[in-house]
Amino acid sequence: MIELPTSRSFQVTTFWAWIGLLFLFLPLIVIVPVSFTPNRWLSLPGTDWSLQHYADLIGDETWRRSALDSAIIAFAATFAATTLGTIGAIGCWRVSSGLSDAARALMLVPIVIPSIVDALGFYQALVQFRLTDTYFGVIIAHTMKGIPYVVISVSAALANFDLRLEQAARGLGANMMLAVRRIVLPAIWPGIMAGAFFAFITSWDDLVINLFIAGRRVSTLPRRIWNSIQDNIDPAVASVATLLMLVTLCGILVYLMLERHNAALDQKEAG
Amino acid sequence: MFQHAGGSISGAEPANTLPRGGGALRLHQVSKSYGGILAVDDVSIALARGEFVTLLGPSGSGKTTLLMMIAGFVTPTNGEILLDDRNVTTEPPENRNLGMVFQGYALFPHMTVAGNVAFPLEVRKMPKSEIDSRVRQVLEQVQLGSLGSRYPRQLSGGQQQRVALARALVFMPDLLLLDEPLSALDRKLRADVQLELKALHRRLGLTFIYVTHDQEEALSMSDRVVVLRNGRIVQQGTPSELYERPRTRFVADFLGKSNFVPGLVESIRPNGFSYRWGQTTLFQTGKMAKPGSRVLLALRPEKIEIVTADRRLPNQLTATVVNWTYTGAAFHLLVNTRDENQISLTVPTWRQSTCPEVGEEITIGWDSNAAVSVDED
Repeated sequence: MIELPTSRSFQVTTFWAWIGLLFLFLPLIVIVPVSFTPNRWLSLPGTDWSLQHYADLIGDETWRRSALDSAIIAFAATFAATTLGTIGAIGCWRVSSGLSDAARALMLVPIVIPSIVDALGFYQALVQFRLTDTYFGVIIAHTMKGIPYVVISVSAALANFDLRLEQAARGLGANMMLAVRRIVLPAIWPGIMAGAFFAFITSWDDLVINLFIAGRRVSTLPRRIWNSIQDNIDPAVASVATLLMLVTLCGILVYLMLERHNAALDQKEAG
Repeated sequence: MFQHAGGSISGAEPANTLPRGGGALRLHQVSKSYGGILAVDDVSIALARGEFVTLLGPSGSGKTTLLMMIAGFVTPTNGEILLDDRNVTTEPPENRNLGMVFQGYALFPHMTVAGNVAFPLEVRKMPKSEIDSRVRQVLEQVQLGSLGSRYPRQLSGGQQQRVALARALVFMPDLLLLDEPLSALDRKLRADVQLELKALHRRLGLTFIYVTHDQEEALSMSDRVVVLRNGRIVQQGTPSELYERPRTRFVADFLGKSNFVPGLVESIRPNGFSYRWGQTTLFQTGKMAKPGSRVLLALRPEKIEIVTADRRLPNQLTATVVNWTYTGAAFHLLVNTRDENQISLTVPTWRQSTCPEVGEEITIGWDSNAAVSVDED
């Protein structure tokens, strides 16, 4: 490690950096003790800590169903968004004209438009096809919200891709499909995975669209949380939040470990 | 490289691993324009089977665009490309059966060396067992037999170059295209690989099309060199034809070094003419239109000598040494004539063991057939 100078201005900077971090994390962290309260209302536990709300959560069929709904929708939407977004990005990259640049810009629109406007549009459209409050309807909407992230990260990966690799594959006898499958896809795989990650988070996290187009038969976790804070403020919400944070944290840790493992492998091979 | 035991690629090889014979190629009035700008302008070239042809030109001369059209990555705006009398102008690259070595090699980074070499056989749906044995043979021949399981990034530049070559030859292409394949190698390795490529070409009898901006590579390996400039063919011929008889100032300057002597024709003589350059009258063999016309002569530095007292040459000048450098094999001198014209000359050290001092006055001279008259362009 490098020994950093501890001048006065450096100490001030460090102080503000910590303030910044606390500002980001305190609201999250405060949820954790709340979830262990023995009381039936939102409060910080005193000397007694209880797992009662976690037990309620697991025992409650509606919470379990919501978790399942969230998972089904997020995985399906991620798969669809990743497939379509990757195909779209590769298509634009292959054609590479003014028109394809315009098409790529259009694909990013769902990010720019406020979710609530989007949601209203989805509601209007899905009603026509009687798809409101169905898995299929929610998956379509979440797919469309996820596509832009995939297009962005795959396009970025393609921008760094050496065009000669594809040419080499073609020259060696592979047709375009085969060249894309065997050469282009493996090269841009990290970009595809990054896009998939963001698409997943987008779906997992969505409340606004769910409020408009789902609720009874299909009810995701964010929607369920929303409902339960509206009725009465149940500490079970804090338990859900804590569990969600734990799951996300595990995901990030696994990702970081894989990355470190790959980097170590690369170094070993190169050396 | 491949030089052990008479060259391993070119040496004792098992039957039917590497291609034999080769394709004839004809470009007929081929042009390519990008938004109204002609990158390649009405180029016609005919290549015989087994020829080693180099497309030589500075950057922007259209040589790479031409190669990309032959390979099928770029479609010509006009003209036809014929491979063994088959019109392939609009054929996609995968249907042309051409081997290509890219600049920077374009090895697939996520595949091993063996995976890279197997790729063209896999896409041809060859049985797995045959692929394995062929890949092993070819890697053996380029002396990479033990490195099949390595990844490209773990190899040196020279090794990567051999993988690219093995991959381009393993499926027996009709033609081998090479796009500046030596530009990433260091100088000494480059000289070795030039020899090896030449030997490989002789051995395989395959048609080679080689693209480079390096005149030395072009001269050392090719059967024929096509010089390109601004998308057009300026001159084509054997390396010695181009070097000895350049038709334009550009060719004389681009292939090797030249002094350019602008003169005014004085009189026509039997077998030649005399012309004036400043205060001096000089002689040159060859035909010239009429007295009074302007002429431009290209004169190679190595054809000029330092004249000693006992020698007499048709063209002699007194000049002052301005600068000189020593390269081991030769002295390169820069001299000023009495008319303040600069001339550079190369004197082999076996002829002249010490170099004249800067400021010293010497007599330089050349034969009446040493220069060649070229077009100003």
